[in-house]
Amino acid sequence: MNPALRKLVRKGAPGAAEVDNFVSNATFPLVDGTDVTFVYRGIGDAVYLRCWIAGLNTAQPLQRLEGTDLWAITIELPEKSRIEYKFEVVNGDQRELVLDPLNDVLAHDPFGANSVCQGYRYKRPVWTEQDDETRAGSLERIEVESKAFRERRDIQVYLPARFRKNRRYPLVVVHDGPDYLRFAALKTVLDNLIHRLEIPQMIVAMTQSPDRLTEYAGNDAHAKYLVNDVVPLMADKYPLIDEPHARGLMGASFGGVAALHAAWLHPGVFGRLLLQSGSFAFSDLGAHQRGPVFDPVVRFMNEFRKNPGLQAEKIYMCCGIYESLIYENRSLVPQLQAQGINIKFEEARDAHNWENWRDRLRNGLSWLFPGPVWMVYE
Amino acid sequence: MAGYFLLGPQRPVVNLATPFGAVDDGRSVAVVSAGWQDAEADIDDVHEIVKRPLVDLRLYQRAEAVLGSEARLREVYRERQDRLQEQQRLYRLRLRQSMLAARRLLRADGDPAILEPEQRHAISQQRALDRHHLQRISAIHGDADSAIADIRPPTLTEHIAEIADVLSGCVTVIITGGNVAVLLNRLRLFSLGPLLAQKNIIAWSAGAMVLADKVVLFHDNTPQGNRDAEVFDVGLGIVNDFVFLPDVKHRLDLSDKVRTALFCRRFAPATCLTLDSGSLLHYEGGHVAAAHGVRRLSRTGTLRRMRAR
Repeated sequence: MNPALRKLVRKGAPGAAEVDNFVSNATFPLVDGTDVTFVYRGIGDAVYLRCWIAGLNTAQPLQRLEGTDLWAITIELPEKSRIEYKFEVVNGDQRELVLDPLNDVLAHDPFGANSVCQGYRYKRPVWTEQDDETRAGSLERIEVESKAFRERRDIQVYLPARFRKNRRYPLVVVHDGPDYLRFAALKTVLDNLIHRLEIPQMIVAMTQSPDRLTEYAGNDAHAKYLVNDVVPLMADKYPLIDEPHARGLMGASFGGVAALHAAWLHPGVFGRLLLQSGSFAFSDLGAHQRGPVFDPVVRFMNEFRKNPGLQAEKIYMCCGIYESLIYENRSLVPQLQAQGINIKFEEARDAHNWENWRDRLRNGLSWLFPGPVWMVYE
Repeated sequence: MAGYFLLGPQRPVVNLATPFGAVDDGRSVAVVSAGWQDAEADIDDVHEIVKRPLVDLRLYQRAEAVLGSEARLREVYRERQDRLQEQQRLYRLRLRQSMLAARRLLRADGDPAILEPEQRHAISQQRALDRHHLQRISAIHGDADSAIADIRPPTLTEHIAEIADVLSGCVTVIITGGNVAVLLNRLRLFSLGPLLAQKNIIAWSAGAMVLADKVVLFHDNTPQGNRDAEVFDVGLGIVNDFVFLPDVKHRLDLSDKVRTALFCRRFAPATCLTLDSGSLLHYEGGHVAAAHGVRRLSRTGTLRRMRAR
């Protein structure tokens, strides 16, 4: 049992006032080295810790502390880990997923919010938070007339602080761009990394698909959209360095598949890829087990594994070790290396979520697009 | 007598006005902002502070023009850059190992009678490597300078004369920060060292670094991991026996006392001085006349206040 909890119950069941005092003075979950104790306070027939990470059961029961309305479970979590979770509270026939009422740290994604457990020695990187000394870039919205999809689509464009039309910039195209902005602090990260000269000033085009599970799943029309609609429009409207080494494509999860697929189908367009927790499902034999939405992904990945032929010069890949996709990501690395591609692959003690991807942006962007920090003394 | 004022980054604290007030004679002020590369002409912020007519020396732009029109010069320049890059690469190979050894020795415990001579020797080997590297760089520059003298490129000669003419009407030169390699390269191309030495100079960050006799690159917190400080080039030699370290607050890991101590001892007898934003060093007549917010790295790895001397 966690030492603080043990102290609370050492003389038998504590009174309500003692429990009040305990919950208002502790920080939850209780992190004691690599032992992490999740605590829920309330009534119910049962309470479960729900976290969707590979290696743990998705629902683990909390034990009620006798004579109290406190429930607790301790799990081992290696240092620098970060996981997202909810509690499932069961009352009769009713099951409700709730955020941890004792923990204010939340992570958001398109499906809502999760409570966040920051394991021992995890610290949110400072460059993901707003810095008053940093010059802020700007966002603007442009419209692309897509021939590939025969419709108009919006793109949000990031322009660096001190943008000048007479200079030329690298371009990075980001899948799920608005989600990266909302959930992975992409604008703040770009502002900070540019300000720190860790990446060069760059222009970032943020796309969003109305049907990402279809369009990002190795879809030729989407690749055509990127290469024939988005890139030419960006080159027309903004001063870009018109060379593959200065053109990057980035995405997470299915967005990573879309990036790999577009670079594979149109070699020589994108020289830099940033692939985060790519959903690179494949099957060596028989059918895959990931559900029908993965069918086109598996078709593409199987084809890619047979005929890699990718012409990107540098690829940064990362994946959380608490996500099942770690196996697919690991297996892709030697294949890409065999193509002579310069690969950097990083594993994080995290799962399939936006804050994992946020925390890896500095390493990925600065490796693909090194800034002049070593030479510049402003 | 010319005074030299060395400052830290002009952000977040802007203190350019302080030294300028001490040297302002109401006349035009020359500006070197080649370190900003293609943003060289963006000197409006400087103008807002000094409120005097500015003469933009446009060294970056001039160099582009000269190298664009003088094929032989371009060839010599390219060859020199290739040799310098290769020299730096080889130095870096040796540096990594020798710094690793020196750090390990400085962190080691043991009988001082045995350990200390080894530590001293490791540092002296490091100094020897830095010295050797600087000599090799000087030799490469010497070869290129001789070749350029033989060519006597007319466009370059014209620009040098024009710059000298412009500078004759100014008593003060402001040198901004920016890319230290580009800045030094342009200053050297137009042989500006001796001319600048006669002027009052107000320089910040990279501008301050190039005034020393050697330029040392450093950054302990790059995203791809720690790098050891590197001797990069011979400076203009206007303010000698110092290594200027701008923006130490963000660039040096001062919590690592061994690393900081090694930095100090490696470059001794030169004094390593921090130039954080808001700091100011006034150097005149071969002495530090005043120092505000400037600290020096000590042999024990701590920072000490720099005083006038």
